Amino acid sequence: MLQKLTLPQKLIFYTLLVLLAIVILFPIYYMISISLKLPKDIYRTPSLLPRNATLQNYVDLFGKMHFLINIRNSIIVAGSATIISVFISCMAAYSLVRLKYRFRDWIGRLILFTYLTPGALLFISLAVIINRLNLGNTLQGLIFVYLTFSAPLSTWLLMGYFRSIPADLEEQAMVDGATRWQALFRIVLPLATPGLIAVSVFTFTGAWNELLLALIFITSPDKQTVPVAVSYLITGDVFRWGLIMAGSVAAAIPVIVLYYLGQRFVVQGLAAGAVKG
Amino acid sequence: MRKHISLFSTFALMLALLLSACAAPAAAPADSGSGDSAAAPTEAPAAAAASSDDVFTYWGGLIFSDAANQMLVDRVTQWGEERGVKTEVVMINQNETVQRVSAAIEAGAMPDALDVGRGFMLLLTQQDQLEPIDDLYNEIGDAVGGWLPAADEATSPDRYGGHRYGIPFSLGGNVLYRRVDVLEPAGFTEAPQTWNELYEMAKAAQNPPENYGMGFALSNVGDGNLTTTMLQSWGGRVADDEGANCTLDSQEVRDFLTWITTAYDEGLFPPGATTWDGAGDNVAYQSGNAVFIANPGSVYLYMRDEDPDLGNSTKYSALPAGPAMRIAPVDANVRVIPKSSGDMDLAKDLLKYLADPEFMKEYYYNAIYGPAAAGYQDAPIFTEGPVHVGLLDLALNGTFGAFPDVDNAAFAEYQTNFLTPRMIQRVVVDGLSVDDAVAETQQACQDIYDKYK
Amino acid sequence: MGEDLSPNPSPRPLHCGEGIRGNVLFYSSTPPLDLFMANQAATQLPAAQQREQPRMTMSQRASIMGYLMVAPVVISLLILVIYPFFFAIWISFTDRMVGSQGNFVGLANYRYLINWIDFRATVRNTIVLVVSVQSLKLVLGMGIALLLNQQIRGRQLWRSLILIPWAMPAFVAFITWKLLYAPQGGAFNYILLNLGLVDTHVDFLSTKTWAMPSVIVASFWRGFPFWVISFLAALQNVPQELYEAAAIDGASAWQRFRHVTMPSIRHVVLVVLLLSTIWTTNSFEAIWLLTQGGPSSATMTFPVLAYFGLQNLRIGEAASVSVSMLPVFAMLAFIVAKLLQEE
Repeated sequence: MLQKLTLPQKLIFYTLLVLLAIVILFPIYYMISISLKLPKDIYRTPSLLPRNATLQNYVDLFGKMHFLINIRNSIIVAGSATIISVFISCMAAYSLVRLKYRFRDWIGRLILFTYLTPGALLFISLAVIINRLNLGNTLQGLIFVYLTFSAPLSTWLLMGYFRSIPADLEEQAMVDGATRWQALFRIVLPLATPGLIAVSVFTFTGAWNELLLALIFITSPDKQTVPVAVSYLITGDVFRWGLIMAGSVAAAIPVIVLYYLGQRFVVQGLAAGAVKG
Repeated sequence: MRKHISLFSTFALMLALLLSACAAPAAAPADSGSGDSAAAPTEAPAAAAASSDDVFTYWGGLIFSDAANQMLVDRVTQWGEERGVKTEVVMINQNETVQRVSAAIEAGAMPDALDVGRGFMLLLTQQDQLEPIDDLYNEIGDAVGGWLPAADEATSPDRYGGHRYGIPFSLGGNVLYRRVDVLEPAGFTEAPQTWNELYEMAKAAQNPPENYGMGFALSNVGDGNLTTTMLQSWGGRVADDEGANCTLDSQEVRDFLTWITTAYDEGLFPPGATTWDGAGDNVAYQSGNAVFIANPGSVYLYMRDEDPDLGNSTKYSALPAGPAMRIAPVDANVRVIPKSSGDMDLAKDLLKYLADPEFMKEYYYNAIYGPAAAGYQDAPIFTEGPVHVGLLDLALNGTFGAFPDVDNAAFAEYQTNFLTPRMIQRVVVDGLSVDDAVAETQQACQDIYDKYK
Repeated sequence: MGEDLSPNPSPRPLHCGEGIRGNVLFYSSTPPLDLFMANQAATQLPAAQQREQPRMTMSQRASIMGYLMVAPVVISLLILVIYPFFFAIWISFTDRMVGSQGNFVGLANYRYLINWIDFRATVRNTIVLVVSVQSLKLVLGMGIALLLNQQIRGRQLWRSLILIPWAMPAFVAFITWKLLYAPQGGAFNYILLNLGLVDTHVDFLSTKTWAMPSVIVASFWRGFPFWVISFLAALQNVPQELYEAAAIDGASAWQRFRHVTMPSIRHVVLVVLLLSTIWTTNSFEAIWLLTQGGPSSATMTFPVLAYFGLQNLRIGEAASVSVSMLPVFAMLAFIVAKLLQEE
């Protein structure tokens, strides 16, 4: 489909693109504009432009609300969840794709099945389990809980990706004397890097954005993650829109940057993974 | 191959960076806060993570006023320092209390003491989760000049199987706010005495889309249950005197439903009222979009701090009466001790410490509550602050909780399922007839009451 | 998918349309990689013969390795998902409340549920929401992906832009939409009123007519980037030669799409459909933040209904709400698995 466009085609395409950009960016713009307003201006003089623009909400957010602590917590949780989940999912996916053993198909199905389970179903039992493991109200507990959604998805996507890498190569290396581990780490993983990055980006974003589980499992204010902290800006019957939007902007920026950097690999990784999934 | 290896090492480096990024700030002392007094969130996160066994945990209710929240945190911390106890105060967003507490009970991770609303206390006592504290109740009562009748009633042993389980710290309810700058030009200078009067005033004074007369929530949130109060003031009842069978299918309920749905159809409610969240009425009033609202006090605090002009155009009064009677529900917030609390004596000591009148009087200045005890009543704010005057009046003269209905778990579930506002929505949104909506709601209500038989 | 576990990817026959059948029959989806692998294999061959056989047979070692490597994921999921899952099914048959064990009550919770006025509406709404959001995403997502696959200036930039709604936390996205829709201080009403397009507030979230469409639009906005980016990925894997061949055969743009593009990306569409449907069906934030299931029960869906159940501490009842959505998921998984197996 990659062919030179005629002028009228170009015209149509770029009009559509601009339209698309407006649809995507307008909510973001409004979010930023509200984050620059004080409550009275938000309510009494609604406007599209931030009249009397001020950075006060951001000052409050990072000063009074200690938002940096929340960002740190989110980085710890999402970062560790990503590392752990990608690591164990790599092994699982490799095992399920390359090694032959009994129940392999069943295990594969089981992993997919777990991904289909509605989260609302797990909530109370998870609270019990996490506390039995003495992980209640800890970031470690949250990291562990996030495996519920990150491990099945990562394993599944990576299985697809590994399948797209011909097996002969490792077999050759092993005939050559490499162990399975060496084959995995020296040959398969380097080839699967785009897939790994794609899966990491997904896991990181999923963990960074997760609200419900974090809301329930974390009680101490100094352990709250970013979405929890933002949701706590709604107190009882009061929405502090300016602060909430400032928090939202701050919460969204890291993942948006991550996607911007990883975008190429996400596309590549998805391509191979999903095509062969 | 080289390209892939370099890619892979970039990726590995990324992970390593991530790891170190996590490790570094965790190790550094977290005093990123400004020069505020010992704020809870800044306190040694590392220490808290180490072991939670010897830490005394208190869950306070997070309210709109930052100052009030901070006062509670500071007070508990100060208590901990005086007693040589390590404390952790967690302010729980009221919107999530039920989920939080449910998870904590199931997981066996309840705090050593916590703040809850009276309705939730009822559910918790029925699950045998709370420690009876009759003696403590009396002891503190003596120290604070005696509990106000509404507070006493709210914790009455008759309701909870023979014991008292909560120390009341506030009485709350709704005060009617009205925009005098809209009403006076239309010739209305006095507060409405009945809901019908309010309706007439709203209808005459409103000027949509700039403002709408009746800023009351009709949605599936706590605020929407104001309509249950209205229904009762029409003489309607949710259930019979035994609290066993629903009695919604009555002429009074039909009259009320006809009245309110007519007002809705006449455009007296601001747009969105049927799906407002808890903040809906606040936002409507704060935007200058509503002539009347019923609110506990958060709107007043907002206007005091952010929008004095609007505050000056606002007057406050008690909720109006219906054709049958005046219902102005007042409800208590209480401090309770879970049975699982690590150290009962410490927990009781803390509740005593928190009940100190000097502290509470200061607390009421920032919070949006009426006093729970006679000894709190003479706080200056209860004569100076216009809303607080209303809240004091409510605390002294309000009708208790579910009155005239029987206050039991079935009624609580009726309310948490928002059946009254839903009945209204069935008419104004789904176009059901008044009779059908009443009949359907009666059935749904009976299904709930049957579960408790 | 669990069903297709063959270790080697085999080239898939492409079902081409009449116009191009003669020209291309097979293709491999990652040609550059295959070429590269072939080179690699060639350079490593000579050293291969010198190794002695390990003590255990290869297949024994492979099984043990296999179990060991899959163990961490399986154990985590057993603890975190499988056990809670069966536990939840069990308590949905009990009258368990928070803090008490509860007794077996058979189908009582389900009986109560079926009679609940909201329940039927919930089933209907969940279906309406998922079907319409997914169709929108499919059609518009495909359109946008095709658009972005053209030779346009700044393709990278456009693709990054597309990802923004998807990258932000759902909570943030939907609370922003709530503000956009708001009658008071909301952007849409502000624009409509100021342009004089309407003379009174449009009640986006609280009339029966508008509530569901508004929720659908917001869900679409947040969810479509994943589709676009997946489709783009798939489109890039469609070999250029196919299009050229089709062009030579004189196929129109639609024919090319129908006979070249569609068959090549069918698989991706199915996978994306499965994932996205799971996400949309499970999504709690959208409804909760925008309408709380209202007005009346116009936007009530399963996760929100389950949340209401928990408000009363009735875990058994809340569990039965969640369990009753399982057949939907089972059916979904079954359909997609069948479709994938057919390939």
